[in-house]
Amino acid sequence: MKIKAKEKKGIVEVKILLDNPMIGKEESVLKKTEVDFLTHVTAKVNGKIVWEASTGPFLSKNPYFMFNFKGAKKGDEIVIETIDNKGKTESDKDAIK
Amino acid sequence: MQRRKFLSLSATAAAVASVLPASLSATDFRTTAPKAWEAPSSKEAIEALFGSAAMIDGQIEIKAPKLAENGGAVPIGIKSNLDLATVALFQDANPRSAVVVFELPENGVADLMTKIKMRKTANVTVVAKGRDGKLYSAVQKVEVSIGGCGG
Repeated sequence: MKIKAKEKKGIVEVKILLDNPMIGKEESVLKKTEVDFLTHVTAKVNGKIVWEASTGPFLSKNPYFMFNFKGAKKGDEIVIETIDNKGKTESDKDAIK
Repeated sequence: MQRRKFLSLSATAAAVASVLPASLSATDFRTTAPKAWEAPSSKEAIEALFGSAAMIDGQIEIKAPKLAENGGAVPIGIKSNLDLATVALFQDANPRSAVVVFELPENGVADLMTKIKMRKTANVTVVAKGRDGKLYSAVQKVEVSIGGCGG
């Protein structure tokens, strides 16, 4: 996963690009593969949740998100956690610039 | 024989349920509102998630292309000056309507963007619940020239 976080005038803009095929029921039949998509994505700074999303298979392949939040400064660490439909979790972090 | 089959089936179902780890967050809308994710139309999905209360128009801006060339990744931006707690995105182009439900912290900034799949021209609907408890909505039609979602 790729994370970019930039602070400007007290607002942090975060862009994330996740790695997941986002295959739902219908697509799995067409492509003859397993259903495989992310169900939840969470962003945390200093242990506090700053953004989260319950997700479904109609997001694009390798989902992209942009979001903004207040209350963090340059150098703080942002942690992105994801969980997929089989319960597999992934996590990555980056410093806010 | 049938009874034995049934018993073994329920045993595997229980085993699958128990290996799932606890949700990462306190409010996972996939578990709290499972019906909303199965609903074929936006209207039903919105009712399952937010109920059928009146909604206020004109306070949320959807930034989406009028004509999307690639239905596999249609950029959808959501912007508002309101203090929103929950922002949900629906569309009528795919077999099921709900796409994503965002949750924002208090004093958050409602400025979001994501990319979705649309296999045909349809309306994209955003419904948000403000921290004032009111529901807000916005609708925009997006024309898709080449459909996504596996054709």
